[in-house]
Amino acid sequence: MFGRSRSWVGGGHGKSSRNIHSLDHLKYLYNVLTKNTTVTEQNRNLLVETIRSITEILIWGDQNDSSVFDFFLEKNMFVFFLNILRQKSGRYVCVQLLQTLNILFENISHETSLYYLLSNNYVNSIIVHKFDFSDEEIMAYYISFLKTLSLKLNNHTVHFFYNEHTNDFALYTEAIKFFNHPESMVRIAVRTITLNVYKVSLDNQAMLHYIRDKTAVPYFSNLVWFIGSHVIELDNCVQTDEEHRNRGKLSDLVAEHLDHLHYLNDILIINCEFLNDVLTDHLLNRLFLPLYVCSLENQDKGGERPKISLPVSLYLLSQVFLIIHHAPLVNSLADVILNGDLSEIYAKTEQDVQRSCAKPSIRCFIKPTESLERSLEMNKHKGKRRVQKRPNYKNVGEEEDEDKGPAEEAQEGAEKAKGTEGGSKGVKTSGEREEIEMVIMERSKLPELAGGTSMQEQNTTDEEKSAATGLESVQWSRPFLDMVYHALDSPDDDYHALFVLCLLYAMSHNKGMDPAKLERIQLPVPSAAEKTTYNHLLAERLIRIMNNAAQPDGKIRLATLELSCLLLKQQVVTSTGCIIKDVHLACLEGAREESVHLVRHFYKGEEIFLDMFEDEYRSMTMKPMNVEYLMMDASILLPPTGTPLTGIDFVKRLPCGDVEKTRRAIRVFFMLRSLSLQLRGEPETQLPLTREEDLIKTDDVLDLNNSDLIACTVITKDGGMVQRFLAVDIYQMSLVEPDVSRLGWGVVKFAGLLQDMQVTGVEDDSRALNIIIHKPASSPHSKPFPILQATFVFSDHIRCIIAKQRLAKGRIQARRMKMQRIAALLDLPIQPTTEVLGFGLGSASSSQHLPFRFYDQCRRGSSDPTVQRSVFASVDKVPGFAVAQCINQHSSPSVSSPSPSASGSPSGSGSSSHCDSGGASSSSTPSVAQSPSDDPMTMDQPQPNIPDQLVIVNETDADARPSKSPARSGDMETVSLSPSLIPAQQPSISLLCEDTADTLSVESLTLVPPVDPHSLHTLLPPTGMPPPPAPAAEGTVTPDEEAAPSGPVGPTEP
Amino acid sequence: MTYAYLFKYIIIGDTGVGKSCLLLQFTDKRFQPVHDLTIGVEFGARMVNIDGKQIKLQIWDTAGQESFRSITRSYYRGAAGALLVYDITRRETFNHLTSWLEDARQHSSSNMVIMLIGNKSDLESRRDVKREEGEAFAREHGLIFMETSAKTACNVEEAFINTAKEIYRKIQQGLFDVHNEANGIKIGPQQCISSSVGPSTSQRNSGDVESNSGCC
Repeated sequence: MFGRSRSWVGGGHGKSSRNIHSLDHLKYLYNVLTKNTTVTEQNRNLLVETIRSITEILIWGDQNDSSVFDFFLEKNMFVFFLNILRQKSGRYVCVQLLQTLNILFENISHETSLYYLLSNNYVNSIIVHKFDFSDEEIMAYYISFLKTLSLKLNNHTVHFFYNEHTNDFALYTEAIKFFNHPESMVRIAVRTITLNVYKVSLDNQAMLHYIRDKTAVPYFSNLVWFIGSHVIELDNCVQTDEEHRNRGKLSDLVAEHLDHLHYLNDILIINCEFLNDVLTDHLLNRLFLPLYVCSLENQDKGGERPKISLPVSLYLLSQVFLIIHHAPLVNSLADVILNGDLSEIYAKTEQDVQRSCAKPSIRCFIKPTESLERSLEMNKHKGKRRVQKRPNYKNVGEEEDEDKGPAEEAQEGAEKAKGTEGGSKGVKTSGEREEIEMVIMERSKLPELAGGTSMQEQNTTDEEKSAATGLESVQWSRPFLDMVYHALDSPDDDYHALFVLCLLYAMSHNKGMDPAKLERIQLPVPSAAEKTTYNHLLAERLIRIMNNAAQPDGKIRLATLELSCLLLKQQVVTSTGCIIKDVHLACLEGAREESVHLVRHFYKGEEIFLDMFEDEYRSMTMKPMNVEYLMMDASILLPPTGTPLTGIDFVKRLPCGDVEKTRRAIRVFFMLRSLSLQLRGEPETQLPLTREEDLIKTDDVLDLNNSDLIACTVITKDGGMVQRFLAVDIYQMSLVEPDVSRLGWGVVKFAGLLQDMQVTGVEDDSRALNIIIHKPASSPHSKPFPILQATFVFSDHIRCIIAKQRLAKGRIQARRMKMQRIAALLDLPIQPTTEVLGFGLGSASSSQHLPFRFYDQCRRGSSDPTVQRSVFASVDKVPGFAVAQCINQHSSPSVSSPSPSASGSPSGSGSSSHCDSGGASSSSTPSVAQSPSDDPMTMDQPQPNIPDQLVIVNETDADARPSKSPARSGDMETVSLSPSLIPAQQPSISLLCEDTADTLSVESLTLVPPVDPHSLHTLLPPTGMPPPPAPAAEGTVTPDEEAAPSGPVGPTEP
Repeated sequence: MTYAYLFKYIIIGDTGVGKSCLLLQFTDKRFQPVHDLTIGVEFGARMVNIDGKQIKLQIWDTAGQESFRSITRSYYRGAAGALLVYDITRRETFNHLTSWLEDARQHSSSNMVIMLIGNKSDLESRRDVKREEGEAFAREHGLIFMETSAKTACNVEEAFINTAKEIYRKIQQGLFDVHNEANGIKIGPQQCISSSVGPSTSQRNSGDVESNSGCC
């Protein structure tokens, strides 16, 4: 933008840069200015560079040499700037001047320097200078300049900007004229400036009065109109939408509305009472009530009045309550919504409209009669005449008396009344108010009565209710509230219901809300100390929504369901317990039951089901509903849709296709389960399937006596090389090094989930494996990040194959166990997957489990080895569970699907796997029994260890991109299919087949071993040999390694 | 001063990390940084050339406005690119990145390009945050990363221009709706005229057709 050449001013000599920062140089520049007082084409560049250099020297002076500033002041150099500016010298010079000013005020660090610059009112002259604002660059620099100045406002500097005597406050009044500038950055800057000004005005009465008396009404009325106009545009956008095409624009309009609300809230929380009264009044009576609330009611009424559609109005009101917590405002607003009567709004407004349109307290949404600029102008002049008389808020009214008609007295009376009530009511007269409240009291007793009598009574519909109240007080109905309830009833979809729930949620969570207001409709605030009753009408509707959501073809979106659950909890859960009526609880249990059925329908045992199950749980718990975020999303404003092509979040639309239906069913199940447990006061013991705290972590010290350990050299990507022992636990692989203090124990140097692991062979080295373990992505924006990426070199190819198999089997095993736990959760009979257990854990014989568990005991308080044992002991039950197999048959094939292709595997590796499994089956028969035998009760104790580890794995990808998880599991599949892994799986097939043969029992497992002894012999020789160049440590390990293979031989052969 | 596109940037990060100095360093080469003088600005603009297209970068510093939620929110939303700056000599500024980023993600459009900048790379002796840490953070959160020095101008150019390139790439891919100014992207004045006649089609052409780059 600016030329890059420099220092052609400083006399043109190259050395200039040395003394460019000096008083002398400033003097020189001063000379340049005096010789070039008129801007011409010729000296333009010179002047610009001169001004720029002056800036630099001034900043330097501020930091280094105060005499520079003295000179600047002494020579009144600011005048030159002004003079140049006024010559209409063109944008080039203008921009330079504005940049200079920006830099000056931004970088000045000394108060005194700042005062120098501000004295003499030159800055104000520049502020009011009529720049060419059509130039976007000038506009940007100008508004930045004002913003910079506003950041310098404080009690001392404010007097340089605000002139009490002339009622001038150019910085503020010039800024707010741009409040509706088309460029968003400019609008933001204006808001910043106003907020900075308001903040300072707290300590400056005169200025505060000026702002309130002279600018508040014009500014706020225009602002409110501006917001309202956006809202109407937003509504149009929703109404005219076809096929969700308006979404981009809509989301901008919504974001814009949110910006406005946040801005209003920022003003309100500055807590400047004077201003807040005016602002609240305008917001309520010129925007929220006439435009938002009125639109809640029957759309046909109200004649020509501007209106918005019901969903939009509910949506926007929710936003209001979510963002603005200013008590007087939210209470008045809630009052009208919950208790209000139409007549209150309409009757009054009609009269008011006739009286005058510009009054703040009139309930209608109309354009301010004057533009902001003009009303500021008018106020200023009036001020000059009258401000001395009575500088008071009420003056605003009086002044306008001149142009407006009579009837101002009443107006003022109302305002006063409001003031005395702490501004808590945006209502017209107090007489009506009392009447309304009385009615409410009576009404609120109704539900109690109903609750006391019978269920039938509670089931009365809205119409009946309102009819009933109609009897009591014919003229007082609560149309808005009725509408709110009515919208929850819609059977077709939850389009309106979601908004209503949000609104109720937002109101009840609003910090400014008077709990008494909500108690009248028995909607307790979350923190309510003790409740004895709840709103049955609402509770029933919520339960109906839940029930609907659990139907296969339910049209309830997950967000709606989650919100319903939240609201129901909020209603019935107290600090001491749950006050839900049995009949309601029964209905809820019914819904939960439905949801179980729904999930069962999808529990086909597809491999991916487990991933989805855990992923859904994770994303649900990691991202609990945030209603504020939900209501920031414009997409819910359009009628609910099912297609993901819209880019709408899964929870905010209906499912599309079987996968999404499954996901939805799972989530519904989770939500209703959690709700049901909570209402019954029971803890969750089954979910999540895996807990972080159950995992082995780095630096844990494990007793590895009798564990299978494989020595290897780990070569990391960056060339590091360490000796480690590879140990495979149920869910994790870990790399340990011997613990120096205890023989046979090891310190974990690395632990990673088997599920996250990719194992590949190394082409030219049969002893080596490439292993990559990815860390779960922490956010959708990040890529999975490898926590381990290394080549493992084993002492020979046999060890290498063993290692590979263990890793592969471990994964399969872990998955199966988790599937069984899910089956238990769904009350499905559990397939005795003993064979898998026996097989998958083959490498980890029961003796190996124990050390891990024992060790872990200290950390996992609950999972105690004895419990474990008792589970082990329940072997006998297995046969009884054979019934379950018919169901599980579905699942098992898919799990083992890779194995058929494995049949062609080399026999060598195959035999080794047999060896392994043989060992396992024999020595670990107890563990075999473990999972199948479990009834849900016994299950939860031992199991947590297992599944938890898996959960974390899944977190990674599935969470980030749901669509990815299938693809990824595919990867896993291919991984497990890699040639050397396949043999390992082969046995599992045979086991599975036998398994499904109904007769499965512990016995059947022993069918496998016979193969083993056979192959064992082939295997044993290599293992038996002392490993050639192994490190000294390995010596201790080798026995362990051998222990596993040799162990089986004994038991199985008999 | 015509341009094909205008990109709006914001600069975020703790106070004192050198945001406004970076800004001045990039937008106005005439202010050469010298050892006894630090100057910053809150607003700056500069033209750059990307793929033969003139692109105007407008950079807004959000300093001093953190206390107002509405303001930060709006700023994020109005920008196409963000420079998230920390000071390599002060670890706490690095530690705060997460919350800055959270804010940014929360309020910005999902397409906003965020560049992580470790500033003051000239102060190697006082370094408190390793380069690798910055890289790791950027990788984990999907950001572009660079260490810069506003003082020596090292990498400053690259930081702003790479961000612009990324935005431009996203425009080419159709990820940004260039007609929607709320995204922090504006089509140059010439294009605007044509767009007022034929709302979408003509405008689209000017944006998508690579060949006519010379004219603007």
